[in-house]
Order: sequence, then structure tokens, then C-alpha cells
Amino acid sequence: MIRVKINPIMAKNEKLSRRFFLKTTGVLTLLAAIPASLKSAYKQVKDFIVIQKKTAPLTISVNKKAYTLDSDTRTTLLDLLRENLALTGTKKGCDHGQCGACTVHVDGERVLSCLTLSAMVSGKEVTTIEGIANDGQLHPMQEAFIVCDGFQCGYCTPGQIMSAIACIKEGHANSVTEIKEHMSGNLCRCGAYNGIVESIQKVATS
Amino acid sequence: MRFFDKQNKVIPEGRVEAVDKVTGGGKYAAEYKVDNLCYGILVDSTIPSGSIKNIDLTKAQQVKGVVGFVTHLQKPNVPGFATEDLIKQSRFGLPIFHTDKIYFKGQPIALVIAETLEDATYAATLIEVEYNTASFQVDFDAVHHNIPLQEAGRERGQIDSWRNAPYVIEEEYNIKSEVHNPMEMHATIAEWTGERHLKLYDKTQGVNNVQQVIAPLFNLEKENLEVVSEFVGGGFGSGLRVWPHVLATVMAAKQVSRPVKLMLTRPQMFTGTGYRPASWQKIKLGADASGKFLGIHHQAKNETSLYERFSDQITRVTRLIYNFDNLKTEDALVPLNLSAATWMRGPGDCTGDFAIECAIDELSYKLKMDPVDLRSKNIAATHHPENKLPWSSNYLLECISIGAKHIGWDNRSPMPNSMKDGDWQIGYGMAVGMWNAGRNKTSAAIKMLADGRIIVQTAMTDIGTGTGTGMKNIAHETTGIPQDKITVELGNSSLPPAPSQGGSTGMSSVSGAIVEASNALKLKLAEYAALINIDFRNLSPDAILLSGKGISRKENPNETVTYADLWEQNKLDNVVVEATSGPGEERKKYAFCSSAAHFCQVRVNVKTGKVKIEKLVCIADGGKIVNEKAAANQMSGAAVGGIGMALMEEKLIDAKIGGLIGDDLAGYHFPVNADAPMIDVHFIGKPDPYINPTGAKGLGEVGIIGTAAAIANAIYHATGKRLRNLPITPDTIVG
Ligand code: FES
Ligand code: FES
Repeated sequence: MIRVKINPIMAKNEKLSRRFFLKTTGVLTLLAAIPASLKSAYKQVKDFIVIQKKTAPLTISVNKKAYTLDSDTRTTLLDLLRENLALTGTKKGCDHGQCGACTVHVDGERVLSCLTLSAMVSGKEVTTIEGIANDGQLHPMQEAFIVCDGFQCGYCTPGQIMSAIACIKEGHANSVTEIKEHMSGNLCRCGAYNGIVESIQKVATS
Repeated sequence: MRFFDKQNKVIPEGRVEAVDKVTGGGKYAAEYKVDNLCYGILVDSTIPSGSIKNIDLTKAQQVKGVVGFVTHLQKPNVPGFATEDLIKQSRFGLPIFHTDKIYFKGQPIALVIAETLEDATYAATLIEVEYNTASFQVDFDAVHHNIPLQEAGRERGQIDSWRNAPYVIEEEYNIKSEVHNPMEMHATIAEWTGERHLKLYDKTQGVNNVQQVIAPLFNLEKENLEVVSEFVGGGFGSGLRVWPHVLATVMAAKQVSRPVKLMLTRPQMFTGTGYRPASWQKIKLGADASGKFLGIHHQAKNETSLYERFSDQITRVTRLIYNFDNLKTEDALVPLNLSAATWMRGPGDCTGDFAIECAIDELSYKLKMDPVDLRSKNIAATHHPENKLPWSSNYLLECISIGAKHIGWDNRSPMPNSMKDGDWQIGYGMAVGMWNAGRNKTSAAIKMLADGRIIVQTAMTDIGTGTGTGMKNIAHETTGIPQDKITVELGNSSLPPAPSQGGSTGMSSVSGAIVEASNALKLKLAEYAALINIDFRNLSPDAILLSGKGISRKENPNETVTYADLWEQNKLDNVVVEATSGPGEERKKYAFCSSAAHFCQVRVNVKTGKVKIEKLVCIADGGKIVNEKAAANQMSGAAVGGIGMALMEEKLIDAKIGGLIGDDLAGYHFPVNADAPMIDVHFIGKPDPYINPTGAKGLGEVGIIGTAAAIANAIYHATGKRLRNLPITPDTIVG
């Protein structure tokens, strides 16, 4: 059986776009129109087929280095970095876009690599935590995190630093409140938020 | 050993492993490069109770890249699990892959091993399981009333003696279950390096613990099982146990004769690595008109699994902080179709302290007495209230008075619901916390190289607490060898054995061992020096000075025997000393505690019920502070955990489906950056004279014990509404 669940409160919410409403009601009507026998036939087919993996050629640039490889089309940028390119500095904290640990820059903007299929970054410039130091000279943000002790276990840290650099670049580092707001997509279970904010302030004001 | 390989470079004031952490160079468990590695994914039961009728692997087998499976029907031999009796004796908990019984929804029942993570993940979705279902119960609130209480510890005085106390508070407190959720999900790489040799890269708080648990299951010599845990992405207690997935990975590696890596998914972190159990408490607190406590009756229950019983020991803290004559404590366990609970930061005490500190707050308003004064009047400042031993040191009263100053307690108008700013009500609250300051036997070694560099080693892990940096600081202070000549190695079971990093004992335990090892190094070098210069004979460690270049005597610091000469004359290779240190006679003479006072200022929105923590002040007595920055970080981090406990953390359970909902980081909320104010932390900083050679006491727990109560008490002061259940969400405030 195919189930489409629509939250009744959401459906009633007048602020929801008309377009979304039409689209979802459209899907519902469509589903209702499919005869039950066909639905179960579809399920049987789906249950029977074991989809085999597909690979596709991929050329991407990570930290200014070009990689050409055959990549599983299901592979996320995060898993590509960690499992295939041995760039384990980018962390997996949830795999679902909920924690920010996997933050990297794609063409200079902060992006969650766990929500990005590697195929989507073909031809783009990806920068990870391993790529922000310059010739062994730490990035000022890396230095600030060390001086301000902006971490404990360090697992959220690469994501925090990548976000922090973007936070300043986006012009969102003008006060403690603003920094906190714009860094709230990067969870830190150790609660090292004092040091994270101080690190960003340090770099923003220097 | 690669660990901390960028130590000392670039920024000297940072932690030893700082560069590795900010560059992404440090290796966490799942990040080691191992040849011929394949990937494991656990498949979980979709029902909460019953048994497995059939597991159909046919479809999953068709996925190209699948290398093998482990289920209760196809598995390698685990000698330590060979019989029911052995399983029980192992005290492992869930007998993973050795039973067809289902104890909870989310129980691992199969493992797929494949060439890639994607293959394994996909194949796992194709495994089809048929069950015999059985009835279940997951609703703590619905059933705990049926479970009778039992005495928890000795009764003190007479419960009846204060029956007619003029002031009595008698209330119930409920706290939802919390999940540790360290940012790094638990992961293990298992590699059989020989028939009887195993290597594990594991996320754990104690490598020796993993060794002790896993080795006997496979009849391995302990030395033949190497456990590596150099970088640990947080633990908070979740890494104090060896969980089923670790054994599953070892079995998988055996099954396919290849190294296997397994990382739990975030939802699996909710059922696979413990949680702080949901609890119910009742406190009856009596006092006389002057505010002197006459007695406490503390009752508590916590949820637990059906396959092992975990008591959170919630009433323990009631024996620790205050002086009063009559105490009765009772508790009970409530077994449910849930995974096993475990210690979580400030285990037990955090929960018990919330109830006690809220009850005391309530009493203060009844007495019309300042909550600060009421506490100060009753705190057991000189002796342990139960065993009457004098505290080795206890500066809780000082913590309170300093905290009151920092928060501006004088600005508080005593009446609740009396301070307003438009739609916002403003309130102040406080609470205290205390923790038994423990210390465990720990070993450390120091290896000196010909060029005068030393490597300080222990098996203890550094889970973000700053252990490595503390080790370096202590070695520097004790030996005199400059910081830039000291490196640290830790988190490996082949290094000198150490207890797990937990219960705020890490620094306290390891510091003694480092001091001893440092002294042993001095003596050893003096022995060699004496062969060159007889004046070095029979010196005490205090009389010996080490520098970057060589050894000298305190008496005559300018006369140095260089390391170069020492090495040359004695034909030395490396000089290695090892020392073990642990608690001793002092434990019979003194009681030991760390303590903290928490003060909080909140704003509560009248219309929406939103709570904003404006200020959070935490003043702690942790003895000597070995590394001020890391210690303050620990404390403020714990306070952030306290905000979560007070306002948002809740493992949601659907009683109808018998399992968790919202079991990810979107459904389970812990504080983000904007949820926490800049937290104000200060230390008393006076060394404890007896706990260990450095005078450092643990801090990790007292940072969270009391925080939630301080917040709840501030919300009461702001709104006049006494909320005794956690988390306090906006609906409970406006409702
Ligand atoms: S791993 Fe990508 S957001 Fe959590
Ligand atoms: S430093 Fe541990 S999660 Fe942020």
C-alpha cells in the first residue's frame, strides 16, 4: 500500500502556499483514483525487484585538487569525502541535515554535505576543513578556535569552523546574539558554545 | 603511534591535540584506514516484544557487494556466549545474535556486511523478518505506580520523629528520559590480525574496559586484544559500557574474515548506547521555623530494560549535601520493553538533586526565607553528613556567596511573579550540586629520548575533557621539563592501564600517576647522573631539577649533567619509567567531594511561555584547576546540558507502537548555540590537600548537577508557577 500522510494541521494552515496545497491534493486525488488491485500489483513488483547499483563518472574538485572517479550514484558528498577520498575531517553526526557536523563549502557557500549527492557537485569547487589552512599556516578561524578553546571533543569542530567562516562572510557576526542565531545549525553536544562564539568574535573584529 | 602528531606546533597555549582537532587530522574511531575493509549495517527489530519467526535474506543476498550476514541463525562461534549460563555470567547485557527473543523495538537482530556503505545500507532494507508478537509495555508513567518501593540504603534517625514538623513540603517530580547523543555516533572497526589476535578501533571512554569485556568472550589473552580510542567525539557516559554493536562488529569481522567497520545511525544511538532513564520521585522535606531541616523522605523509581536491571541510584545525593538527622530513602526499578539505560552525565545525582533542590526552594518561599540563606544554613560544610568524616575540602558555601554576587542576587525582589518587563516576567533561581570526588588506580609511563624530549603515556582516553593537556601540564610542573619537549600518548590499551574516563575521576586519577612517574624519572636520571657525579646519589625527587638540557640539583642548580652526557656515559637508549597510583589511607580519614553553585536569571514570556535564559552562573570547587580554560569549558558545557535537561530534552515514546518517535536530532532537541547564554564560570581553585598529589578534583558532573533545578526555580520566581516535571516546555508554562 502506498501511504501519503498529510498532517491535518498543516493542511488546514492557510499560510501554506496555494501551490503546495494544489500539488498535494492533486497527488491525493490521483492516488485515490488508482484501483486497489493496481496498487498491490505495484507493491509486488517493487518488492520483487532488487535494484542494482549504478555508478557514474564524476569529476570534482576538492580543496583545489581534481578527482575523477566512478562514483555510486547514491553516494553523498559526505560519504564520498570520508569513505572514498580519505578526507575524514568532515564529520558525520546525523546523516540527515540535522546537526551541521558535515558542513563544507561548495563554491564558497556553506553546505551540508550529507544532504548533497556527490553527483550534484560535479564541476564545483568543494572546500573542506583540510583545505582552509594555507601552506601549513592555519586559517585565522582555526587559530581562534585553539586560542579560545572553542571545542572539547572536537567532533563538531570542523563543521563549526566551516560555518563560522561563512557566518562572518555572510555578515552575520555583528553581535553575540547574531552569531548565536546564525551558528545554531551547528550542534555541539559538549556545549562549547562560549568558546565558539568567542572564536568568531575574535576573527570578526580582527 | 600517530596520536596527537601535531602537538606543540603553532599555538602553545592550546590543548595538546588542538591542531589535530581544528584541521580535521585527528582520527576518530571510524576514520582509520584499514586495508580490505568492508561495512556493516545493523538491522533492528520493528516490534517491541515477541520473538523472531523467520529472517529471509534472499533479497538482500541479491545485492551485489554483499559479503555476508550475521543473525542468530548464522554466526561465528563466540565461546563466552556458548551457553545460557555463560551468557549470564558475562554480564554483557543484551545477548546479541544469541537469542530469538525481542526485548524492545530497535533491538539489533541482523547485520549486513558489504563492500560499501551504500551496498550495506540498501541490503539492510531488503531483509525480511517475520515475528511472533507478544504484549508489551513501554509507558513508564502508566505503570510505575504498580511497582513497590524498597529500602535504598540505611535509614538514618527516625522517619516518624518529624511527623509534626511545622513546615513540610511533600511533592512529586517526574523527569523524562534523556539520551546522551554525543556528536560522534558510536563506531567500531574490528580487525582480526591473527587467529587469536584482535584489533579494535572503538569509540569508548575506556579502552581497558573494552579489552576486559571482549577478550574473555573470545578466549583471547588480554594483551592480544588491542583497543584504540585516541579521539573520542564525546561520551557523557554512553562510552562507559561495551554495547552490543561492538560485539556485533567483532563477530562480523570473524564471519567474513575481513576487517569490518560499523557506525551506528543516529536513530540507533537512541536504543543502542543507553540513556538517562525516565524517573519519578517523591520528596517529603520537613523543617522547623528557623529553617533547619528536620528530615527527608526521598522515594524514586527509574525505568529499566527487561534484559538487565539498571538502577540510577537517584536517592544517593540526598546523603551528601545537607545536614539533618532523619533520612529515609527508597527506590524501585520499572522494567519495560526498552533498551538498556545507563549512566549519563551526573548519573542519579542530577535527577535526585533536581527534586531536592526544587523542594528546598519551595520550602524557602513557605518560610519566607531567602533560598540562599536557607541552603547556607543547612549545608554540611565541615563533615560528610552520613559517615561524619571531615571533608578533605569543601568550599560550597564560598561557591554560593560568589555566585550570588555574580548573578546580582541583590537585584531580585523576593516575591515571585513580581519582576516584569512588558510581556516578559523576570526571575532568579539557584541550586547547588555535589558529587563524590573519586579516584581510581591508574598507571602512567614516561619515556625520555636522547634529545631530552619526554613522552607521557597512559591508556586513559580524552573525551574532550582535556586529559591530555592536563597530563602535559602536570608532567611539566613536576619535572621542570619545558612544555615544548613534552608529548602525550593516550587512548590505547597497550599503554599503561587506566580506568575509564568517567564519573569525574579522570583527572583526579591520572594526575597522581603522572606525578609518580615524573618523580620516578627524576630518580632514575639521578641514578645515572650519580655515576658521573657522586653528588647526585640518594636525592629525593624534590631535590632534583630537570630542564630541557639536563639534570641538576636544587642545591646547586647551575651544575648540570647534560642528557647528552648521561646517554653517552651510560650507553642509554631510551629511559622508561612507569608508575601506578591510587587512593589509599586518606580515604579512611576524609570524605571527598566536588561541588558547585548554580545561579540563573530567566525571562519568561507571559503569552508564549518561551523561556530565555538570560544569565547562567556556575561557581565550582574542583580543587586545583590543572587547566583553567579546559575546566571552564567543561563547566559551561555541562551547564548547557543542564539547560537541555530543564527545558527541552525528552526521549519520546509512543506507547501504542511500543517504540521511540522523534529519534533523531530534529525530533530530540538539545540546546543549540542560541539556546544558551554566554555562561559565566568561576572556580574556587584551592587544591584539595588529600585527594591526590596535585589536589585536583573532578568537575565533569557538578557542572550539570543543580543546573536544571536553578532554572526551574528561576521560572517559579518569574511566574509564580511551580513546575516539577522536566522538561519544562512552553505549553506547561502557559497551560
Ligand atoms: S551529518 Fe550532515 S547535518 Fe548532520
Ligand atoms: S566539541 Fe564535542 S560536540 Fe562540539
